[in-house]
Amino acid sequence: MRRNIAVGILLLLVFVALPGLLSAVGGGYWFRVTTTIGVFAILTMSANLVTGTTGLMSLGHAGFYGIGAYTAALLATKLHWPFLLTLPAAGLVTAAFGILLALPTTRLIGIHFAVATLGLGEIIHLTLLNWVGFTRGPMGISAIPGISLEGLFPASDIGHYYAVAIIAVASALVLGRLTHSYYGNALRAVREDDQCAAAMGLDVVRLKIQSFGFACFFAGVAGALWAHTTGYISPADFRFSESILVLAMIVVGGLGSLPGAVLGAVILLILPEVLRPIGDYRMVVVGAVMFLCILFLPRGLLGETPVLAILRRQFGLAWDRTKHLGWRQ
Amino acid sequence: MSTTILEIRNVSRRFGGLLAVDDFSGSVGRGERVGLIGPNGAGKTTLFNLITGFTPVSSGFIRFDDVELTHLKSFQVARLGIARTFQNLRVMPNLSVFDNVSIGALGELGHSPLAALFGRREQAKAVSQRTWEALERAGLQAQAGELAANLSYGKRKYLEIARALALSPRLLILDEPAAGLNDTETAQLAEFIRKLSNEGLSLLLVEHDMNFVMNLCERVMVMASGRKIADGTPHDVSRDPAVLEAYLGSEESDSPEEAAA
Amino acid sequence: MFDIFFVQQLVNGLSVGFIYALMAIGFTLIFGVLNVVNFAHGEVYMIGSFAGLMSITAFAPPLFVVILVALAFGALAGFGLERIAFRPFRRFRDEASLKSKAVREATLLSSLAISIIVRELAEKIFGSNMQAIPQEYLLLTPVQIGPLTFANGQFLIFGLSIAMLGGLQWLLKRTRIGLAIRAVANNPMGASYVGINTERTIIATFIIGSTLGAVAGLVVGLYQGAIFPAMGFAPGVKAFVAMVMGGLSSIGGAVVCALILGVSEAVTTSFFAQGWGDLVAYVFLVITLVFFPTGLFGGGRERV
Repeated sequence: MRRNIAVGILLLLVFVALPGLLSAVGGGYWFRVTTTIGVFAILTMSANLVTGTTGLMSLGHAGFYGIGAYTAALLATKLHWPFLLTLPAAGLVTAAFGILLALPTTRLIGIHFAVATLGLGEIIHLTLLNWVGFTRGPMGISAIPGISLEGLFPASDIGHYYAVAIIAVASALVLGRLTHSYYGNALRAVREDDQCAAAMGLDVVRLKIQSFGFACFFAGVAGALWAHTTGYISPADFRFSESILVLAMIVVGGLGSLPGAVLGAVILLILPEVLRPIGDYRMVVVGAVMFLCILFLPRGLLGETPVLAILRRQFGLAWDRTKHLGWRQ
Repeated sequence: MSTTILEIRNVSRRFGGLLAVDDFSGSVGRGERVGLIGPNGAGKTTLFNLITGFTPVSSGFIRFDDVELTHLKSFQVARLGIARTFQNLRVMPNLSVFDNVSIGALGELGHSPLAALFGRREQAKAVSQRTWEALERAGLQAQAGELAANLSYGKRKYLEIARALALSPRLLILDEPAAGLNDTETAQLAEFIRKLSNEGLSLLLVEHDMNFVMNLCERVMVMASGRKIADGTPHDVSRDPAVLEAYLGSEESDSPEEAAA
Repeated sequence: MFDIFFVQQLVNGLSVGFIYALMAIGFTLIFGVLNVVNFAHGEVYMIGSFAGLMSITAFAPPLFVVILVALAFGALAGFGLERIAFRPFRRFRDEASLKSKAVREATLLSSLAISIIVRELAEKIFGSNMQAIPQEYLLLTPVQIGPLTFANGQFLIFGLSIAMLGGLQWLLKRTRIGLAIRAVANNPMGASYVGINTERTIIATFIIGSTLGAVAGLVVGLYQGAIFPAMGFAPGVKAFVAMVMGGLSSIGGAVVCALILGVSEAVTTSFFAQGWGDLVAYVFLVITLVFFPTGLFGGGRERV
């Protein structure tokens, strides 16, 4: 019962209260800001699955975000696919790339894997930049149609907000189910000690690939949303610094914690908006906040352990004695 | 159904020019408690790593209940029914005791993302049940919610064993289970292991504490320099001159001459 | 029959390769001693070049003074970096913690964060565009040797690189601090047991590595004529690639691989556009990591 109330309040906030507030404050611009936050929340949650929960430090996540965006943009502008098709297509194409690229790298550990992902991210970025014939290179792709439903409603800032909000909530549900379950435990075991996990019967390679695949799917979804809501994308949106931004968000929020990922996204995106004078110094702030968090709050703001404990007590198991220790899935 | 559950035949492991394990042959009987002893560097942990798929075998074969293990990966070996503990306790400190043990259960019962997504409760229930049973067997149910990092050294040993038990293994391999324990704790551990054995589990353990090994094990294999130098009851092995020489060097054989000189 | 064009590219590639080599050594030294990757190494390279530019615009000293300035700033930057981004995470002194995954991840993230801060601040201070180096200092005077054309800057690069490599070898093999570095790289705990001050050794390693990087940055600036705050990122990654290809703990391997990388890049750039040349390094990186995890020359670190 308590669970349903909490979820209900959250949904009310996202779908009724917030849009109402933003409309009152002037609409347009603020809707675009929250839409961006929504897109990054999806991106951050996906990064959290692979980096926070499974422990695979990915420094190239922006590359996959970019693949999703370009897939959607190209399908929409060249083949005139509607949003309802480009979104899943972007997700699936990105997931496919992710799995393909993950396969040879699963053997790598720690820093080697991190740098390999950095290399992959850069390869993707440079390809987007230089393969002018296909991607239009630095000119980017413009005039990407917004999210609209034929005959029902045209693209608009508020429409985009709702679309992103719905997809973000859906993504949170799916990613939440994956993370807050026994499957999540398996992923956490890979993070904690993958050799030991294997000795205990876990198919570590398969888990890593699955995790990467899911994360890339949602990164692709985020990319598609970005493309459709901003109308214009270019390789500059998907550089290494975007990967770092995402990484900083999950570090600040709490590595391994899904709500933390969203919180991190909110904080690091709101900060430059709220503190307008330092808006230009956005990346400096990001770097500084990340550094301070690692130093003083190594578990982030909403660390994994307390979050898992709370979630289990509210939403977890109730098999007699193991009242708040196990998972329902 | 034969009486041997684990068969190791002419197994060698070569690291460049070094033979860490040299033509080792041995076995563990069904329900038997077998000890593996030998001086440091004899190759005991390497042998464990070979059995559990951590290191590839250079030559020879290993069979578990008539299934060829030799080239399997470690997670496949575990799923076949061989669970192990580690010399330098590899407990996952950031997870709770319950979650640690659940890893073993997940290893055997499976970990599919589709199950997590499409919510059929049966599998989760099975994992929870198995985890809880392992915790009770090891006497850790009271600590189930604790963070593993907060557990004392002694309790961590039981945690590792509980995690291994969650795999529902038929063979349990223990790497120096009594290391770092005082006499009382050692005796309790021996009691616990004996109980597990009485419940049908086959055991293979490495230990340096001679009393522990001699009292607990029905049979002892002795390794030195990668080779097996003895295999018999604790009583016979403790009197075997080759074993004594391996442990004490050739000083023993010198002393009579020294005494005479 | 040797195509002159090709040989020219080879020479160009080698000079680029030597720059990567100087940076790769810094990476290798730090990795050897601390088992961590210093993500801020590229920024030290940038600091060297900007320090040089500032001294030129401030009081136009002779060339070798500019080099000394770059050296000094590099050393300072290295020291600062170690104190800020690395030392706070060595809270626990035991071996298990030093090599633990969490500590290494934390230092990876912290050096990454610092590199972002430094780079962005530099962009705020100097603007993100290219800054030209005054004409008098540029080393672009062409020198004809037979059918080949060199820039005198390339001679400086070759000369300086070889001098510094030689100096480093001497330092490592013939001095006490060099011995300390090799000892700590081999076994930090053991080194401290025999009385080596590991803290000081680590600082020294950072200073040496950073000085090499800073000088590399300065020389590149003088040779290419323009510098910009984000210039450290790409060479930093390429130096890292060289280190990994060379087997992580081998200075010689890193140098050789840096040269290979430089030449490959030059050849690729001459046949395709500039952008694809950058791609070479990353492709090498991924191929090396996937197929040669112990480096091309073997002897790499095994998993901890």
